[in-house]
Amino acid sequence: MTIGRKIAATYLVFGLGAVVTCLLAPLVGSTTIDFRRVFDASVPFAENADAQIFFVARLPRVLAGALVGSALAASGVVLQALLRNPLATPFTLGVSAGAALGAMLALTLELSSGIAGFSAVPIASFAGSLGAVGIVYSLARVRHRGLSTNVLLLAGVTLNSFFSALILFVQFLSDFTQTFRTVRWLMGDLDVSSYAPLVAAAPPIALSFGAFAMLPRSMNLLSISDESAASRGVDVHRTQRLAFLSASLATGAAVSLGGPVGFIGIVVPHLVRLLVGADHRMVLPASAFGGAAFLVACDTVSRSALAPLEVPVGVVTALIGGPFFLWLLIRHR
Amino acid sequence: MSDPCLTVERASFAYDAKALVLSDVTASVSRGALVGILGPNGSGKTTLLRLLAGLVSPLEGRVLLDGTDMRTLRRRDLSTRMALVPQETQLAFEYTVLEMAVMGRYPHLGAFEIEGPDEIEVARDALRQTGTLHLESRWFNTLSGGEKQRVVIASALAQLERRLREPFSSESGEEGSRNRFSEILLLDEPTASLDLAYQLEIRSVLARLNESRGLTVVVSTHDLNFAAGLCRELILLDRGRVLAAGLTDSMLEGTLIRKLYGVEVDITTNPRTGRPTVVPVARAPDAHLS
Amino acid sequence: MAAHKTPLIASVLLLAACLCGAQLKLGPAYHLAPTARAQTRPQRIVSIVPSVTEMLFAIGAGPRVVGVGNFDTYPPEALTRPKVGGLIDPDIERIIALKPDLVVVYGTQSDLRTQMERAHIPVFLYQHAGLADITTTIRELGSRAGNLKESAELANQIEADIAEVRKRVAGRPPPRTLLVFGRDAETLRGIYASGGIGFLHDMLEAAGGVNVFADVKRQSIQATSELAVARAPEVIVEIGVDTASSKARNLDAWKALPSIPAVRSTRIYQLRGDGMMNPGPRISASVRRLAEVLHPQAFK
Repeated sequence: MTIGRKIAATYLVFGLGAVVTCLLAPLVGSTTIDFRRVFDASVPFAENADAQIFFVARLPRVLAGALVGSALAASGVVLQALLRNPLATPFTLGVSAGAALGAMLALTLELSSGIAGFSAVPIASFAGSLGAVGIVYSLARVRHRGLSTNVLLLAGVTLNSFFSALILFVQFLSDFTQTFRTVRWLMGDLDVSSYAPLVAAAPPIALSFGAFAMLPRSMNLLSISDESAASRGVDVHRTQRLAFLSASLATGAAVSLGGPVGFIGIVVPHLVRLLVGADHRMVLPASAFGGAAFLVACDTVSRSALAPLEVPVGVVTALIGGPFFLWLLIRHR
Repeated sequence: MSDPCLTVERASFAYDAKALVLSDVTASVSRGALVGILGPNGSGKTTLLRLLAGLVSPLEGRVLLDGTDMRTLRRRDLSTRMALVPQETQLAFEYTVLEMAVMGRYPHLGAFEIEGPDEIEVARDALRQTGTLHLESRWFNTLSGGEKQRVVIASALAQLERRLREPFSSESGEEGSRNRFSEILLLDEPTASLDLAYQLEIRSVLARLNESRGLTVVVSTHDLNFAAGLCRELILLDRGRVLAAGLTDSMLEGTLIRKLYGVEVDITTNPRTGRPTVVPVARAPDAHLS
Repeated sequence: MAAHKTPLIASVLLLAACLCGAQLKLGPAYHLAPTARAQTRPQRIVSIVPSVTEMLFAIGAGPRVVGVGNFDTYPPEALTRPKVGGLIDPDIERIIALKPDLVVVYGTQSDLRTQMERAHIPVFLYQHAGLADITTTIRELGSRAGNLKESAELANQIEADIAEVRKRVAGRPPPRTLLVFGRDAETLRGIYASGGIGFLHDMLEAAGGVNVFADVKRQSIQATSELAVARAPEVIVEIGVDTASSKARNLDAWKALPSIPAVRSTRIYQLRGDGMMNPGPRISASVRRLAEVLHPQAFK
């Protein structure tokens, strides 16, 4: 099979998987709904409980899962290539710590004045993530215009620690309800119950995906070494900048939408590489689709497993992620 | 001797404001030459190689490729005429040998173009030339040191192959004058981490490629005997300056070696290989090594 | 920090109770058997629990209270006492420095308890439970603090008030109610509602309502939008929600789910104010406020 056909097949298979998952997910839930009634146009929407559950409660949630899952998985792939390390995650470089700090501050200071219907928490969270990106980026810019990946990693780890300390401090200052809310936020929550947050998160994520589309071949080369890539015509500095900024933007938007849901950015790329190999022209799209399907599936478990109780989706991904890595470890021995 | 393809004119370079790594270096590599850049660690060999490869630009002076200042050449032109083989290749991800070779073709592809069967054949042919085609489905990380180096050399060869895309641009061998551009392979300490057997392997592969397709080969190394066995010319680099340059036999001379390495040596010609052999004998009294 | 923290803190303590999982003791709040020293009336009482602090002042033990928790804001005299920390971070040194002879400790504060035992300071253990436990606690507190008469009066009064409310709403069809005590401002995210056990649930029943989550055997549950629609409450009562933004904006969020009967008939109420969620002496007033909203006709 030529590479062109392999790439097309990857898009087809994984894309189909994601679409099917997203179509099936709203059909499942803690409440049984009658689908004929959902699509029955004769019943006014205001009285149609089934339609509301489907269109207001479940569908936005599934779409949020798809958006967040694909953004986190794809960002994970990009950062792993940039840092030449398959253990890198979208949270390695401090973006999610910034987002968490923003969210904590909004929850603790009880900022309630949102903008145009968006509540303060996602806005503050996104602002926090952009702040973190800015700091890490300026720290990592070495004299010679480029991004030293070592310094990038160090800056990210430093920022993570520093912001985590600030988060703990904010939690200490806040009262217990706020602490509980912030802890709950950290576990991830996709119940957006409206399309507005999706509309807000879509543009930065779409922008990032646009950048991602230009990266795969360069990522193949860059993931070997800077020198290899440069001698093969890659503008290393520009590619590093593009990769870092776009992955961070997507991560920031995703975390602001659904909270810092862990493990997607590392489990999905790993699994995908086991299936399609290491060529980023396949790994990137497959991970994006796979991430969407994975998170939507986890969220479905999250809201159905212990119904009517809801298991935070970040807990579900962690419960899957942990054993996954154990299995990887055993397999490699 | 044919015309020079790589020229360095009074180039200086420093990584930061503190110290010049290379100062006032002038050197020239002819088309089809087999040149070694020789010097102790820290003499600036790798930097000179990177300068030649166009990865960095000199602070002063200039570097010319086929008579044109490299700074004016497009990235794509540089990368289709010169290929760099780094000292070691450690992969974070599991690429196959064939994928590694095919990556050498990327500089020839359009922005979103995907390599077709022709490109794949070029890659496989390159693997064949370094005797690694039988490994094409193996994962690169599972190969031995020597095999890895040969695969990387193959991917560099694939990178230099222009006949697919520019069918009338180059023919090798005697019609050198019809060449518009050269094919240059740069290797940074190619045998540093290899066992003796693999060192010999690499040596013979490079010699064969140089002979059969007129590949210009520039090797940076601190291994005197490897340079002696492979290269026809040497550039001796001493703390960022060119100590001397010329034919290997002339360069491998007691006074020069003592100046360069601070060591008294015995130079003999090995009856079996016919190449000079350098044996270090004692530290020189005026040794300047740190 | 503004004064409306207390209800939030109380809700927090409630959540802490359910978060800690196993502690679903619905029997009367328990306390250690008094040591020989504690047979006499305690003269220096420290209380970290807001509702118990209120109880102490209400039964007349106020003058003997020498230390209160960070979030104890009622009655106003409590603000004059030194603060000794909160639920997660009781300031043990400060407590000991006040030389108390009785310390009120929350059931999950095992560290604090151990420290008090080591220092030979008697403790009074308390934990949120049902509505009836409030008056039981008042009586026990009265016994421990040496204010038997006042505590009995207070407990009886509270029980009588609640009984009166029950009488007023008796016979009227109880509306299915969603009792919300937490929600992210202006959105429907992070809705926390009362489950089928605990004093909030009991309050709701006493006020003549039926908890839509009566079947959930937990003190609190996170109500997703799907659950809210599925349970179709006829009335939504929000207590302790964010008061900083305007009332109108806050209730608009519910309009996203018009199929909920409460939204269609606009029977969404916000009960603000201190003490709404405090399982203390003011509980009967809270029950009454709740009942007034559920059965306005009964209180004309």
